[in-house]
Amino acid sequence: MKIQQNHTSDINLKIKRRRWTNVGAIYLILLLFSVLFMGTFLFGALSSLKDDPSSWPPTLKTEQLSPKNWIGAYILARQGGGGGFFGELKSGHEVSFQVTYKYPMGIKIVPPQVIVPKRFKGSGRAALELDREFVADFVKIIPVEEIGRISVRDGNQVSYKIDIINPSQKDFDELPLDLLVPYKVDFLSATLSPNRIERLGRVQSWNNLVSGVIPYIFHNHFRVFNENYSRTTGRRLFTTWIFNSFFISIIKVLTTLMFASMAGYALARLKFYGKNYLFVLILFSMMIPGQVTFISNYLVLRDGIFGLTKLFGGGSLLNTFTGLIISGLVGASAVFIMKQFFEGLPKEMEESARIDGASTYQIFSKIMLPLAKPALGALTILTFQGVWNEFFWPLVIITSPMDKFTLTIGLLSFKDTYASGTFDWGPILAGAIISALPIIILFIVFQRYFVEGASFSGIKG
Amino acid sequence: MEGGVFSEVRIVGWGGTDQSIVEELINKFVVPELADKGITAVYEPIVDDFQKNLINSLSAGTAGDLFYMDIFWAEYIIKAGQVEPLDNYLAKSEVLNKDDIIPSLLDAFTFEGKVYGIPKDFNSLALVYNKDLFDIAYIQYPNENDTWDDLENKLAKVVEAFDGEVTGLALAPEFARFGAFAYAAGWEPFVDGKTNLMDPAFKEAFNWYTGLKEKGLGVMPADIGQGWGGGALTTEKVAAALEGAWILGFLRDNAPNLKYGATLLPKNPGTGQPGNFIYTVAWGINANSKNKDAAFKVMEALTSPAAQQWILERGLAIPSRKALADNPYFEKDTPEAQANKIVFLGASAGNVKPFKFKEYGGKWMEPRNN
Repeated sequence: MKIQQNHTSDINLKIKRRRWTNVGAIYLILLLFSVLFMGTFLFGALSSLKDDPSSWPPTLKTEQLSPKNWIGAYILARQGGGGGFFGELKSGHEVSFQVTYKYPMGIKIVPPQVIVPKRFKGSGRAALELDREFVADFVKIIPVEEIGRISVRDGNQVSYKIDIINPSQKDFDELPLDLLVPYKVDFLSATLSPNRIERLGRVQSWNNLVSGVIPYIFHNHFRVFNENYSRTTGRRLFTTWIFNSFFISIIKVLTTLMFASMAGYALARLKFYGKNYLFVLILFSMMIPGQVTFISNYLVLRDGIFGLTKLFGGGSLLNTFTGLIISGLVGASAVFIMKQFFEGLPKEMEESARIDGASTYQIFSKIMLPLAKPALGALTILTFQGVWNEFFWPLVIITSPMDKFTLTIGLLSFKDTYASGTFDWGPILAGAIISALPIIILFIVFQRYFVEGASFSGIKG
Repeated sequence: MEGGVFSEVRIVGWGGTDQSIVEELINKFVVPELADKGITAVYEPIVDDFQKNLINSLSAGTAGDLFYMDIFWAEYIIKAGQVEPLDNYLAKSEVLNKDDIIPSLLDAFTFEGKVYGIPKDFNSLALVYNKDLFDIAYIQYPNENDTWDDLENKLAKVVEAFDGEVTGLALAPEFARFGAFAYAAGWEPFVDGKTNLMDPAFKEAFNWYTGLKEKGLGVMPADIGQGWGGGALTTEKVAAALEGAWILGFLRDNAPNLKYGATLLPKNPGTGQPGNFIYTVAWGINANSKNKDAAFKVMEALTSPAAQQWILERGLAIPSRKALADNPYFEKDTPEAQANKIVFLGASAGNVKPFKFKEYGGKWMEPRNN
């Protein structure tokens, strides 16, 4: 009796153990996946906030995420006369700033030299602007005042107060600052952490003291929006690109939903001559790799669909949104998904509607479409995601001006702006992160539909 | 344009900063000059691989009328007959003359006696160094009289002064940097159409370049988390890097306070000559364009002395016109102007070769880089 009991508890223990090892293994795999996919994204997002995104060795420490700096940025921006979140340096305002250094023994304690520099931009459109007004020409620096000195073990810890006044009538949106101290003097802290420390610790350099909290944290993201604007319209290119991508995605989603549901319904329910051939043809078009039809599609667009566009006063469809949209009104796979879904719905509903006197069109629009909501939802998301991320085709079709780019191509142009020979990763990362956000939000909100969409397309053929 | 013949010249080039520059040039120099002739110009940037894109569009018949031709692959499309020879146009032109352009640049775009492109600007390599590191170590800055050994000594002293906290030279492991040293040693990339890597000159340069790393006087930018020499310089972990004028815009944005200087590349102790590459891009006219005359007019405006002066003053590129060599900009006391001057001089000091490898383009370099 007792032996048997031991035996069962042994087995139970074994089963438990096995179960837990299984659970452990699954969690481990999930963890690895999430680290692999989300980890890289999150690290990218984090790096896009940093002053030096490629800092080596890689670190999670980000000045832009420290609450102390948020407070500092808020206070300075308020002093500048702007709002704490979006700041500026208004006429007649004074910015007061504290900084602490450690002077080692043997180095004479002299206050830091304060410089409001004129900074020229090195890349993008802004690089051409030599004639703009520099805040450096208008502000007045009040002599540095020592406000505290503590003697520490091997030197002195000295704090200074730095005041900068804007006595002019003008408002400025930035106030860069450089502080110069002797070699070997250690920078300890400041109201706002410097954006970079240069010249072996001798120079602490700030891009903008009065940026306000939000531009301080998201400085690379702001660069993406601010440094790229259209030569022709003056609009911000990045905003235009986001709008273009949304516009094209939404139009294509609408056309896909419309044509896929109509074609899917016709193929699933209506009886007409050549239906099966048509279906085979649609399936066939799914099987041809895009690369095969790419050149002919391109030529068709170039000639304006065999010259048809001339009827409407148009010419070539290259470099137009029309061309981009027309060449992707609906995909064969979307038709396929809808056909499969409609076939899965019970015929009896349709028959009873028919008996009640509904026409085919009424059955389609009043009965079948509402029933197909889950499939339409899945299709919406899949199409949206597909079009949003579409890269190759827009790259070929859309060439200029930059106002016409979609977000994916715009991001590619950053490679030229920020990384042609030089590698300024901040804005590139920031742009990539911004462009990924809609899809990530879409995915998180509609996870369920994504999975359903995947299972629809996998239903028996 | 009422009455006049309206023609729009499509200009194709790189995206990014180039787009801003060319569009500004169009507004400032092309439009005022050519508006009454009924010619306008529009810039179409190619944001992806420019060379592939251009070749595709040339074969599809959709290429622009006027386009960038990088010396690196120009020969390939010229041989394919896609670029219009310019001699007839130049003969008629009142503004643009062959003799105005720096000869070595023009030669790079001359094939079988015909000129196919007008160089718009150029670049070469300079030794860009961090002055602070040399100052603190009490070492003289590198200068144009240095030989390889002198530079090595100076770097060694800097490394020693910082107890190995910094290394000497940012060594990009690619032919586009190392090749300059092979040329300095007297190496010819092609002898009778063949490349000899066992040539003593090549070996000498190779051993010196890679030897720096072994002696701890050089580091690959990737090893300090950077993609290239300019990035390495901003970390202040290297004393010097080999880069062209393209580094200047990057330093403006990423290391505004860096005290840097530039000098010519060091001389090979044997030949007594430095080596260098010339990187240049020219304007070429599409041989199948319907607008060739208009395109040439636009080209004239884009390479006019006024346009090139405007570019030079902004430190954006180094102009291809001879006359601008004496421009006061080069005598300015800013590090940028001085670095630009060194890059300008670099193109004519010692064994300088254009950055091109016959019709092989980048394929020629691949086995050397890997």
